[in-house]
Amino acid sequence: MKRKALTILSFITIAVWLSGCATTGPAKPVPYRLTQQGTVIWEDEFEFLPPPPNWKLLRVEEEGGDINFGFIRDDPGGFPSMTSFAYDEEPFGCSAQFEGREREFFKRFLFNAIVQFQELERKKVQVVGAEGLALTVEGKDPVKKEKVRARVVFGKRGDRIVGFYITQWRPIDGTYDLSAFDVFDKFVASFKFLKKSFYETL
Amino acid sequence: MEGHQRNLYLYDRFNARVLGVSRDDTITLKYFAKSLDLTFPLLSNVTGFLGFYFHCQPDGKPIFSRRTVVIDKTGTIRYVRDGSPDFKDILLFLKKLNQEGGKS
Repeated sequence: MKRKALTILSFITIAVWLSGCATTGPAKPVPYRLTQQGTVIWEDEFEFLPPPPNWKLLRVEEEGGDINFGFIRDDPGGFPSMTSFAYDEEPFGCSAQFEGREREFFKRFLFNAIVQFQELERKKVQVVGAEGLALTVEGKDPVKKEKVRARVVFGKRGDRIVGFYITQWRPIDGTYDLSAFDVFDKFVASFKFLKKSFYETL
Repeated sequence: MEGHQRNLYLYDRFNARVLGVSRDDTITLKYFAKSLDLTFPLLSNVTGFLGFYFHCQPDGKPIFSRRTVVIDKTGTIRYVRDGSPDFKDILLFLKKLNQEGGKS
């Protein structure tokens, strides 16, 4: 009788243990959903055309809850060949005017890389339904023998400036893949705000 | 600090003013403010007594730990948070405080 009770107890223990293994908790919901039109709706706040599948999602958790996400891909050619682009709710700087923000932004953009940027192109663009400013720059690091080409687009959301930027790193003698910039431009051109920002609701 | 600078127009809306306090000397703060284009006051408190007063002076360290304090116009401390400022939380608090009767 005692042996039978022990056997039953063992089964119960194993069953409880296995059920514990099966309980992994609720999966963390992804912050986006796809629409039938092929766009992505991000946290019911933004809608945009995503890049092709070889781009991986890149999300930066910002203190204070500001939204900052983007996409990254490894490029052929070895380190540092890669391209990434992002939407940033709070780009570096404080000014609510494009020219002032540009000056502030480039004091700190890719600050760790210590590159001097040369402006390749500057133009006014339409972004998120209003006039914005797009700058294409290139920076070189002769010590590390690396270079970077970047495009920064400033737009307005309410009273505040938001930013989009793409950076493409290459060895100093490498060749840029400008098709990635086309992907970025499509992303920016498709970007829409689906609701007011936190700051607009205050 | 940059976040506070971005939010100055909202602080104005809620009748609030912001200032920073640090143990750095005035020359260092001047360059810090210039580098970040800050226009609000930064106070130099080299002796650190404000850190003791607000309980953000770690023992044996020459700097303050980060703390956000909101004081209403009667001089009452209404909000204290440690660490990097949560700007959205601060703005919501200031909005509420302003709605209470413009005490911020």
